[in-house]
Amino acid sequence: MSGAAVPSALVRDLRLLVVALVYELRKVTTWRAGFVVRELMRGMWRPVVMIFVYATILVQPTDRLGSYDFRGLVAYLILAASFEKLLFHQRGLDLSDQIFQGYVTKYLTMPLRFFVLALARFAQHVLIQGGVVVLLWSAGALLLPQWWPQPASALALVEAALLVLLGSYCYFLTCFLVNALAFWLDVVWTLSAMTSFVFSFCAGVLVPVSVMPAALRDTLQWLFPYWAVNAPAEVFLGRLGHADFLRGIVVLGLTAVVLELVRQVLWRRGLARYVGAGM
Amino acid sequence: MLIRMADAGKTFRVWRRKEGFKGFFANFVAREWTQVTALANVNLEIRRGEFVGLIGANGAGKTTLIKCVSGITPVSSGSATLFGVDSFALGDGEKRRLALVMGQRSQLWWDLPAIDSFRLLREIYSIPRDVFERRVEEAAKRLVVTEKLQRQLRQLSLGERMKMEIIGAFLHEPDVVFLDEPTIGLDLVSRETIRRYLVELNRERGATIVLTSHDMEDIEETCRRLVILRQGRVLFDGDLVGLKARVYDRRSIEVHLEPSSRTWDESLAPRLAPLGATLERSAPLTLLFSVPAANVQTFVPLLFELFQIRDLAIERHPLELLIRQIFQSGQAPAQLSSGEPKA
Repeated sequence: MSGAAVPSALVRDLRLLVVALVYELRKVTTWRAGFVVRELMRGMWRPVVMIFVYATILVQPTDRLGSYDFRGLVAYLILAASFEKLLFHQRGLDLSDQIFQGYVTKYLTMPLRFFVLALARFAQHVLIQGGVVVLLWSAGALLLPQWWPQPASALALVEAALLVLLGSYCYFLTCFLVNALAFWLDVVWTLSAMTSFVFSFCAGVLVPVSVMPAALRDTLQWLFPYWAVNAPAEVFLGRLGHADFLRGIVVLGLTAVVLELVRQVLWRRGLARYVGAGM
Repeated sequence: MLIRMADAGKTFRVWRRKEGFKGFFANFVAREWTQVTALANVNLEIRRGEFVGLIGANGAGKTTLIKCVSGITPVSSGSATLFGVDSFALGDGEKRRLALVMGQRSQLWWDLPAIDSFRLLREIYSIPRDVFERRVEEAAKRLVVTEKLQRQLRQLSLGERMKMEIIGAFLHEPDVVFLDEPTIGLDLVSRETIRRYLVELNRERGATIVLTSHDMEDIEETCRRLVILRQGRVLFDGDLVGLKARVYDRRSIEVHLEPSSRTWDESLAPRLAPLGATLERSAPLTLLFSVPAANVQTFVPLLFELFQIRDLAIERHPLELLIRQIFQSGQAPAQLSSGEPKA
């Protein structure tokens, strides 16, 4: 052992987070073709398809869907797709594989909190996707200025970004929880896919929540997915105001706290009964 | 005492899958659960600086034992402590003093060059930069992988990868290192390099090393103490040299004589008797004696005194045969009869 003083746990976590983040960034850019497909093109097809779906619907006698006209829907879909790209992606976490294969064991004998490494994955995702979204957004604004949504104000832009970031963290915690079920279950990928689909629906990625039936809309507004995609898009467009933003922050903050507590309990219990491959 | 297991047991609850169409429904509706015992009443104490070989057939409980002691999984009964602390409740302070290398699981990061993995480990173990660089340089030189440090782990050969794993495991100079089959699949040269490195570290730093391997050469060339597991129980725990001496206490000595040498005659027998030696086979220029291992040192000079010897070979029974006999019989070595093992 070295005789040097050991820094405090928080300092160690932060330093490890930075080093692990650099590792994650290097890893994600190792394969260039994979990077383009996975990081740039992922999530781009659904909004394009949905634009045609809405175009078909709105060719009917009515030219509105709820409070949205076709141009508004296109703007919303562009925003929803952009914000969804910023959200943590379920495939970004291979924790369940590590648990199944027994690879997680290597971390259990090390003086670190495993969650810090997962957190580095989240930070990498935010940085990469942040860059990708800015790039695509700039390209879109240059090529299709008449269709491209503009923020209602600078404040609306900041508020929307904060909601998406916090929502992304909540979704990351959800992904971690689902993956941690691998301590008990062997159907984690199915659960993960189901979670993703339900999240997309609740977040208003397919259809804006505001055009859903009132009872469903009122319920979804208490759940964090709505505040991760739909609400930020509407804050960005000026359809929701500052009070809505504050409500979103409260909902997302409380959700993050609850998910974090559940994560800690689940992780501890999972480790206590861990039976990985070869054990 | 660094490692202590007292009546330690580990059981897993598994359900028995029934076969056939009826089994399909039975598996779904009413599962039949059963307990699998991986470890049973294990008592083990390992002191600082020991180099312990842990062997056993597949499924004997070697890896489970290591996982229980290193804190990966808790024991189901009894206790397992490391550095005097319950193994499953090790704090960061204790974790800084241990390392684990699993031959079939990479401890390093697959997508990174080894040096980057080491830097991540430097951060995890809070190793000062200058100390870190000196240790990496020294270890890479001794394991002959200096040129490979910048290469991505996935691009290295199995042997090079394992050397990197071992460098990573010893970077923070742990007090205890668990090595689970570290030489699996490696070529002769790599195996020898790794064995030599481990022995040197054990001798120079006083690191306690617990090594499991199916390669008996690994055990013979590195360990002083041997623990044999069978079906989750400790079948033998003791000195490796003593074990061999106890069970295979005889050596075969084949002597090739010069044509001008005297040959065997019965009058020589009384001179061999006090040493417990017997003539097993006699040919015109070749003699084969059986001698207690403890008397070889005295017996060989006597042979040179009696004969003109062109060549002489002392054959030691390979440890592998002994272990095979123990695995097959399930008897502790003390109960085994001396003499040739049944292959």
